[in-house]
Amino acid sequence: MMTTTNAQNGKATTIKKTFSRQTKVSIDINADAAIVWTLLTNASDFSRWNSTVVSIDGEIKEGEKIKLVSTLAPERTFKIKVKEMQPEKMMHWGDGKGDRYFTIEQNKNGGVTFIMDEKMGGLMFPMYAKYIPPFDENFEQYAKDLKKEAEIIANTK
Amino acid sequence: MNNDILAREFEACKDQLKSYIVRITTSVQDTEDIIQDTYIKAQTKLDTFKGESSLKTWLFAIASNLAKDLLKAKKRWPENVTDICKDAAMNSETFFGEAMHIAHTSPQGSFEIKEHIAFCFTCVSKSLPLEQQLTVLLKEVYDFKVKEIAAILEQTDAMIKYYLHTGRSKMIEVFDHRCSLINKEGVCHQCSELNGVFNPKQNQQEVLAQLQLVKDANSKDKEQLFDIRMEVLKGLDPFKSGAAELQLHHLEHNRKVMEKYLEKNS
Repeated sequence: MMTTTNAQNGKATTIKKTFSRQTKVSIDINADAAIVWTLLTNASDFSRWNSTVVSIDGEIKEGEKIKLVSTLAPERTFKIKVKEMQPEKMMHWGDGKGDRYFTIEQNKNGGVTFIMDEKMGGLMFPMYAKYIPPFDENFEQYAKDLKKEAEIIANTK
Repeated sequence: MNNDILAREFEACKDQLKSYIVRITTSVQDTEDIIQDTYIKAQTKLDTFKGESSLKTWLFAIASNLAKDLLKAKKRWPENVTDICKDAAMNSETFFGEAMHIAHTSPQGSFEIKEHIAFCFTCVSKSLPLEQQLTVLLKEVYDFKVKEIAAILEQTDAMIKYYLHTGRSKMIEVFDHRCSLINKEGVCHQCSELNGVFNPKQNQQEVLAQLQLVKDANSKDKEQLFDIRMEVLKGLDPFKSGAAELQLHHLEHNRKVMEKYLEKNS
């Protein structure tokens, strides 16, 4: 599992290397981990609250394959495997080109810090790197949407 | 706690329980069975009631579990259930004849649009996942608090908040898209069409203009309009209202149509 860093208030950072690219965003959310986890693992509901996701087909369960269509490349369907799930703590998705980690950590404010971290790479990476759009804006929007939705739910009376 | 107190409390909330269960099962027979089983189960398990919740909450928990057991293997209905059932009614040789007979002979056979609004919500809310439907009903129609619903459905407060928010959001979008009472572009006019059938002498525009949903359609937001819709449900008992027999006949029809439809399309 990748190491996490301190919250960056929703600002994404990208580290580019010859054979890899890593984008990370983290954001503090004033909600229970259970709410954030439920939002992150309910495939059919995703596009309602997450403006970066066009659709997710399949079930977000460990070992399952899902089909993701993102606003980053709406003409493409990404086939991704849900490799690992630790309820309310961590989830790991991946395909042949990269791995994405979602982490939920309790923070000192009584809420959680959500971290999304994706690393793509490999020996062939330099050949197709230029065709992959930057993720920063997309990651920031993702984190912002998650925070907004989770906090609305947490404040439900 | 003893059987006398249970009997009194059960009697006090029986109407609400029945109304809740029929809105989940859409079956009068299943509702009667569940209500009877709820009482029997409560009697036999009374010694396990620790008073951590109210007796009413506990009874709703028992009834909810029985309803969930009944429905867990059944598919949920599609959002356009009323379109599918309308087509079936139009092609039925018996539906309108039976409905007209009820309308002309039953003391609970008078068609009213607000009753159809409640009926319509019962059908359309079956497109929600079951836990979301139960949560929305318990909170918005039967006035339970999040903690009480968490006890009834054996879930965490966080999950109940999620179900409530998601269920409300989905229903708000469905009605905003479909209901011509609140949206001029809405694709469903079934309540006014049926009013024309059952009350042909009424001035349709005048009747519609008296409805709170229609009055507020342009001045209130979607959330507020949903709250008004929930107020309509709160104010009606599906077994005791002036249109109860007519609407329950319609509900029975829709349930049978959907069972066939879902079997055919499985």
